[in-house]
Amino acid sequence: MRGLLKGALAASVLVTLVLTGCSSPGPEDAGGAPAELVVGSTDPVPNLTPGRQSNAFGLTLSVFSPLTFLDGEGELSYMAAESVESEDQTNWTITLRDGWTFHDGTPVTAQDYVDTWNTVAYGPNAFENSGQLSVIEGYDDLNPAEGEPTTDELSGLEVVDDLTFTVALERADSQFPIELSQAQTAFYPMPQSAFDDLEAYGKQPIGNGPLALTAAWTEGEPIVAERYEDYAGEEPTVDKITWVPYADRLTAYTDALAGNVDITWLPATRMRQVTDDFDEDNIFSFAAPGISYLGIPYWDARFDDIRVRQAISMAIDREAINGALFGDLNAPATAWTPSIMPGNPDGICGEYCEYDPEAAAALLEEAGGFDGQLTLHFPGGAGHDDLYNAMANSLRQNLGIDAIAKPSVGWAEFGQDRNNKVLDGPFFSRWGALYPSQQSTLRAMFSAAPNCTNCGGEPIPAVDAALNDADAAGSEDGTAYAKAQELIAEQFPIIPLFEESYNYVTSDRIVGLKASAVGEPILTQVVLAED
Amino acid sequence: MIRFVSRRLLELVIVFFGVTFVIYCAVFVLPGDPIAALGGERPLPESVQQQLRTQYGLDLPLWQQYLNYLGGLAHGDLGTTFTGQSVSEQMASRWPTTITLALTAWTLTVVISIALGLAAGLRQGSVVDRTVLLGTIIAESVPIFVMGITAQYIFGINLGWTPIAGVADGWPRAYILPALIIAIYGLAGVSRLMRGSVVDTMQSDFVRTLKAKGMSRRNIVGVHVMRNAAAPVVNVLAIQLGGLLGGTVVIEAIFNLNGVGQLLYKAIQDQQGTLVVGVATTLVFIFLITNVIVDVVTSVLDPRIRND
Repeated sequence: MRGLLKGALAASVLVTLVLTGCSSPGPEDAGGAPAELVVGSTDPVPNLTPGRQSNAFGLTLSVFSPLTFLDGEGELSYMAAESVESEDQTNWTITLRDGWTFHDGTPVTAQDYVDTWNTVAYGPNAFENSGQLSVIEGYDDLNPAEGEPTTDELSGLEVVDDLTFTVALERADSQFPIELSQAQTAFYPMPQSAFDDLEAYGKQPIGNGPLALTAAWTEGEPIVAERYEDYAGEEPTVDKITWVPYADRLTAYTDALAGNVDITWLPATRMRQVTDDFDEDNIFSFAAPGISYLGIPYWDARFDDIRVRQAISMAIDREAINGALFGDLNAPATAWTPSIMPGNPDGICGEYCEYDPEAAAALLEEAGGFDGQLTLHFPGGAGHDDLYNAMANSLRQNLGIDAIAKPSVGWAEFGQDRNNKVLDGPFFSRWGALYPSQQSTLRAMFSAAPNCTNCGGEPIPAVDAALNDADAAGSEDGTAYAKAQELIAEQFPIIPLFEESYNYVTSDRIVGLKASAVGEPILTQVVLAED
Repeated sequence: MIRFVSRRLLELVIVFFGVTFVIYCAVFVLPGDPIAALGGERPLPESVQQQLRTQYGLDLPLWQQYLNYLGGLAHGDLGTTFTGQSVSEQMASRWPTTITLALTAWTLTVVISIALGLAAGLRQGSVVDRTVLLGTIIAESVPIFVMGITAQYIFGINLGWTPIAGVADGWPRAYILPALIIAIYGLAGVSRLMRGSVVDTMQSDFVRTLKAKGMSRRNIVGVHVMRNAAAPVVNVLAIQLGGLLGGTVVIEAIFNLNGVGQLLYKAIQDQQGTLVVGVATTLVFIFLITNVIVDVVTSVLDPRIRND
């Protein structure tokens, strides 16, 4: 087969030779003075407004600066904000740094923040990230369950002076300064000019960050940002970044291999062979605040017995799967939040997250076995096939259950079946936190209020209470959330699988790359090789 | 001839309405909620979802949605996606890529397969004949992504002749490799058809008469055999062209060619109804028009087909 393939290729070599006239591309201009970076991006970007984007973090963080910033060690620092303070964890005062300007030259004021947050939160605007602002008092009035809102201003916001405003929250929340950090882009400011034409702003956002977009973005074309000379924060190490869109992560990876792209995402299918393709120095793996679970259909009585859920968990060999599928770049989960979270109670899952096929089989036996077929559901077309097939295999072999893995057509179908509770077996579940606090993950996955579309297990009222306590009493170190995780461990509603990593490959031009606390590399602080 | 063409065009209008309606219904009865899926794993607030449903008319009954869509279509408005992007803008940026790719691939198929078919047909049973048969079938049995990725590594990375991805280098450099790979998958069918057609024609009475008349072999093959053998092949080639315009999803993804195939594939996955209908309708339209053209061409090649 191989030889025959070669034959076919040899024939095409001939034709290609003739047609391309044997030309080979000259080396791209290595660039002397200006430091330029080409980023291979593979996520579609329908709209670049910070309140609407959900997958252009690298770009948004280059064009905007957040109020607070969490570095790779989880240390909180202040960027656009001078301070974020509160006496009672409910009423917060945000003071901005003086001398910051937007790319259009106008100063960044408290009024800009308040106007932006009102715009993002206003229901009829239908901004995708508006949920990030739901902690602010008055959010529900802008997003009534029925009919039009009667006001377009958040009652919890008040401008004190040009550089100061106050924020009243719905409830005490010690994590608020962390929530204002880089990945919660709904909190980013927009200049007054944005409000005149939000549509145009979405194509060329004007920010307060180190780089400014040079032109309005058009579908399928690269996006270019250049150094903003009057930036008041830390000097960027690059003068220009170009984001080139790719339809497929593998193609971007191949183009990085050919040296046309300086940094791009490492696709899951190349995790095992990446060390053959790239030098060790050009592979960067960052722990991410993402964690995957196996959700449990709590509407199906076959999973009522906690021992059934624990048996399934113990029958999955996380170590082996991590090695075979992820090149050991991820890590087996030992708690319900990833260990990158401050104060994470590592190992709280205990023996039930460790591979022990005999104990698993015995536990299932004790619980009375499992009736009928067990189907693992996952959204198709997103590269989860190998993982789910591997898990189904494990369950078949170790528990003797007739287990199969079944993909949906896409996310839309999977999401609907999950929300309507019609899935008849354990299912794909994960949460990538936007700020590194256990609060983000625990509230998204285990809190009944306000809605629990992500919950892959029956909501536990005691966990809600523990979360409220931790929010009010806790501090940035996160230890207050251990209590909630203890309660979760006792109930074992869903099965923790893997702590995720965000992985990148780079060209030789990049010698240093740092990630922020959300696993995203900080593009404007890349260390470039000396030319 | 005019009656023939106008009848085909009238049929086209009827098919157009039928097809758009069927596609429209098909997309909207698919399981899944495209609005809820916009947020992916991060659920959108209920109020945002409600607002988006109203904005895009998804809370209306299906027939009303379809009529609204047709109304827009009458004004040349193909609607917007659920993220507010104009469908016609999205297609406009992608059609040139797909058309360039499809035409390049198609031309390569035509030239190579007709040459191979002719060579095999004229030397029936020879080594050439058997090599062509075997070679094309083997090439076609290699999965297209294997061929695509392997070719990308060899020509793009090792040899550096063609770009890995994108259309920045323009035609022909950026298109030749993906087009060639697509073409390889059309060779087996068309060259065999051509071969059979040539064999049949060479054995027909009129060729024997021409030979008896003393006409040179070159003239017999070049003028008479080619024309008669081409009729069935043209039909198949036309259908292939239609297929190429919508069916190059894999190659478009591997070579990062932002074409219509990618757009349609993503749109179906995300259930972007208006986008699916827009792209699919255009595809159907192109397919129908190609068919009309083919009918005209074949009726010129072989007047017996013109049954009006």
